[in-house]
Amino acid sequence: MDMNMELEEKKDTQQDTDAKLDYRMPIYLQLREIVRSKIEEGVYLPGTAIPSENKLAETFGINRLTVRNAVDALVNEGILRRVQGKGVFVVGNKYETVLEEQGGFISTLSANHKRTSIKELAKTLRPAGNKFANHFNIGLDDLIFYIRHFVTLDNESVSLEEIFVPKEILPQLEIVDSSVFTLKDIFAFYGIELCSMSQSMEIVGGISKIRKTLDVPDGVALIMLSCNYRDNGGRLIAFSRSFIRSDKSSFSIKLHK
Amino acid sequence: MDYHIPPGTETVEKLEDFIVVNRLTANTRIPSERDLCEMWKVSRSTLRQAVDTLVGWGVLYRVKGSGVFVSVPKISRNMVGVDSMTGELRQQGMFLSKKIVSAHVIEATKQISKKLKIPLGHKVYEYILIRNVDYVPSLLETTYLDCQKYPDFDQHYTENTSMNYIFKNVYHKNQSSGEEHISVTYASEDEAQIMETAPDTPLFFTSGVVMDENDVPIIYYKQLIRSDKFKFVSEIYK
Repeated sequence: MDMNMELEEKKDTQQDTDAKLDYRMPIYLQLREIVRSKIEEGVYLPGTAIPSENKLAETFGINRLTVRNAVDALVNEGILRRVQGKGVFVVGNKYETVLEEQGGFISTLSANHKRTSIKELAKTLRPAGNKFANHFNIGLDDLIFYIRHFVTLDNESVSLEEIFVPKEILPQLEIVDSSVFTLKDIFAFYGIELCSMSQSMEIVGGISKIRKTLDVPDGVALIMLSCNYRDNGGRLIAFSRSFIRSDKSSFSIKLHK
Repeated sequence: MDYHIPPGTETVEKLEDFIVVNRLTANTRIPSERDLCEMWKVSRSTLRQAVDTLVGWGVLYRVKGSGVFVSVPKISRNMVGVDSMTGELRQQGMFLSKKIVSAHVIEATKQISKKLKIPLGHKVYEYILIRNVDYVPSLLETTYLDCQKYPDFDQHYTENTSMNYIFKNVYHKNQSSGEEHISVTYASEDEAQIMETAPDTPLFFTSGVVMDENDVPIIYYKQLIRSDKFKFVSEIYK
């Protein structure tokens, strides 16, 4: 084999031709660096999935196991996150110590992370309308993202989450998978300063539609957990609201002096 | 592309906004169904569903024969610090009072000994008290503390003092940190009677341990809280 042979990405699948494999270096290391640079250059955006391992294998004409090694290395570095059944996602920068988890309600669900699955039921753009125009201080017809998540634990319905974010604040939400990352993470990925989160938890009745969706047994109360996200200037940048079955989840909170 | 808000959702949001924009205060009647339908060009059933939703959320309440009114806002129980609840509520302009329902010395059960990190069967004070907020019995609270660490606690603690005050001034103990667990329970007959609500009404059930600077438990408590009166609030800052 020609030791100087370099493999080029097939052009029909990728627009940039910079990425090449060089046989003088272990291929998985090269692929790792290619993926890394695509993340750094913003070809693969935080919160989105990279091409599947099959696709990468095909693109570079290499073994799938090699691809897996490369991806694993980046998963171990924390740059990528593998999500069962969904793919491999780019993890952006995190605000490590920005929002310490010393306030805030922690759901017991988070302890059962592995058994919980989040499905995105809807992601649409809608006009702000009266309420959210006032909330976000934008125009009535300015667009906001509306996202609805359905959360299950061991295949049983637990909660329904609604997220509202003005489009102008986080246009990238269009391509980011909101069921893999939290809103807090996504803000961090795109450098949006998140300064405070105020949560409020109450017990709500009525709302038969939501109860039906969640299949809540009669007599079981629903918890509504809402959260306002604000930036440095105190501006509201997102609002979320979850309806949570009280028989499936409870909360803890740390208190300090 | 034509963007729109689903009509049902839009009506709920308009109604919420209407209350805020017009600064409707608690116990104010909102305009009649007919007027609102006309104003927003929606059907009676859409409007009724919107009202139902906000009644469910505790934003509005119905009075048979006289209309729909704005609810008294729920009291925020701000989860900022370990000893802030009563002070916090007073700041919100609430009138607080408490009544000691029972005060006993009991032997620590497994649960109590685990929470207070004391031997099983060790003597503890058990206080059950009801807290009234603006004359409404809203919190039923049970507190346990170690008799040995806090001798003669019962000599100091009355309905007119706070536990916090006694810990600070008599025992020179500062409540420093804690963790609280929140879930939902339903009022038993007895609890419903004490809290002046109906049996099976959902209540917040909280339990927690408050610790001193050295993470030694001071008290272990459990609370039942009226969910129609209270909401929990937490602010997380950078």
